[in-house]
Amino acid sequence: MNEQDIAYATLPEAMIVQVARTIRDGELVFHGYGSPVPALAMLLAKRTHAPHMVHIEGATYGVNPEPPFLPPTSNDWSLSQGSVLAIGITDLFDIAARGDMGRMFLSGVQVDRYGNLNVTAIGSPAAPRVKLPGSGGGCNLSGDVQHVTIWTTGHRASLNKAGKRQYRFVKQIDFISSIGHVTRDGRPRSALGLRGCGPEWVVTELGVFDFDPQTHVLRLRSLYPDTTVQDVLDNTEFEPVIAPDVGVAPLPTPTEVALIRRFDPLNTHQREFKSVDVSRRFPLPDNR
Amino acid sequence: MPVFTSEQKQVSLAEAAAIVQDGMTVAVGGGLSWREPMALLRELIRRGRRDLHVIGTAHGVDVDLLCGAGAVSIIEESYVGFEQDFGMAPNYRRVCQEGQAKVHDTCCHTLLQQLRAAEYGVPFLPVRSVQGTDFLQLHPEYKTMTCPFTGLPLVLVPALAPDVAIIHAQYGDAHGNLKILPPLVADMLFIRAAKHVIATVEQLISTEELQAMEPNVPYFWVETVTEVPYGAHPTSCYPFYAYDRQHLAHYYHAASAGREAFAREYLDPYVYGPTSHEEYLQRIGGAVRQRELESWKESADAWRALFAAPEGAIA
Repeated sequence: MNEQDIAYATLPEAMIVQVARTIRDGELVFHGYGSPVPALAMLLAKRTHAPHMVHIEGATYGVNPEPPFLPPTSNDWSLSQGSVLAIGITDLFDIAARGDMGRMFLSGVQVDRYGNLNVTAIGSPAAPRVKLPGSGGGCNLSGDVQHVTIWTTGHRASLNKAGKRQYRFVKQIDFISSIGHVTRDGRPRSALGLRGCGPEWVVTELGVFDFDPQTHVLRLRSLYPDTTVQDVLDNTEFEPVIAPDVGVAPLPTPTEVALIRRFDPLNTHQREFKSVDVSRRFPLPDNR
Repeated sequence: MPVFTSEQKQVSLAEAAAIVQDGMTVAVGGGLSWREPMALLRELIRRGRRDLHVIGTAHGVDVDLLCGAGAVSIIEESYVGFEQDFGMAPNYRRVCQEGQAKVHDTCCHTLLQQLRAAEYGVPFLPVRSVQGTDFLQLHPEYKTMTCPFTGLPLVLVPALAPDVAIIHAQYGDAHGNLKILPPLVADMLFIRAAKHVIATVEQLISTEELQAMEPNVPYFWVETVTEVPYGAHPTSCYPFYAYDRQHLAHYYHAASAGREAFAREYLDPYVYGPTSHEEYLQRIGGAVRQRELESWKESADAWRALFAAPEGAIA
């Protein structure tokens, strides 16, 4: 695709770019399975601002792959194409356990104010109302990895059959699958002797967040051109901190959009999003 | 693990499956949509196995199928689902939510440490992670301690030796030497930790041919070997065949429609109905479908086309 013909970025593309911009050059970075948004963010970061990033692929553990396309399942040979080699599962988790994994990406069906995530069960795990698929390596990696970027495409609360708002960003989390900044009984992360520093950024379809350095509570940092502070407040069950300088996050560049479209001709990443968010489009400045 | 010295390990699928007894702890090889020992699992279901305790990292149709057939009572996996492909695993959810199977979720590094403890012959290994999460409440068998050397808080996880590991490899010989192509997922740990190792292979070849490929599993860890071409279907087994996404779409719809619909539309035609693996291969589309699944290697376009959304995949 010709970069100068790229007239707009979709919301999913803008979100991928926001996730990519959380990656620092030189980090060893891993995304889990079932994660097209961070997978594309990593492919993008390495080809833009983070050329020395080490890319470890989500389930094949291929090193610095050049996939011909992004399939909707992670353990596929297409995702190790272009890698000189792949590491093994113990290599991967040992890298993290000894503190050498710079960043990974986690998501949750419930997210609390401190960045604790639930992907295990709604209700009690002994008698779940909804059994969620499970945390994969997230429980361990949330403790071990230096920095975590959280992403979710489901920030916007939905209405249940009774017309009650169902929040993803909840006051009370049913199960802590991966640890954020403060435990259920109020202990700070620093009391746990963990390797990693915990969640650093949270990227959603409504905005970009970090955590207040004093209180460790989720803090809004920037919005998209079509979202407002009120949207965030309406869709978050607890009260997030609002940074004083909240503005609109810089839009993707045509180069970034072109890379996403090149790596994902099947639009696998759109499967993470509601159709209403796939149709959100932000015009890019005409660069001809 | 015991040492299996027989010169001749080749058995039928039924003979291999007979090693697995009700209530055993079973480690299923492969992961997600890759190289899962599906033909052997179908045979276990036909034999009416019950109360299996399955362990593993990130899995998909393998564990969901066992759940749908009522074969599982404890699920100690780190993930069971169909990712962006189809989403949640319907049978898995149903047995967890209805209380037929105990939710015993694990996490990848935790499980690796438990398997490595068994492999190393020590009773436990520590992890620094897990603290602050609710996995400590879910697993009373995990213990915490203060490290006597550093004073760090640690979580100790006990050795876990599966009763049986079921592995599907690309190549093997009659003696039981195997060549498994990567991603190996947790297969090597399962093999070293398990009390019994059952292997199915795409191709049974001579020891000389296998030697030239630098095999990675020695015969004395493997109890039986069975040649089952397309033994991982509907998961992929490169370099032979890609993942059968059309078949999975049918599977997912049958499973989502409830227990009876799954029995009628999936278990009967694909598990209980076929009298042999060859008949199963006919029912999934025979040689025509096999040629399609093998077309991945022709070009990137052909490969990509195998992943174009089938009817009913999540949009």
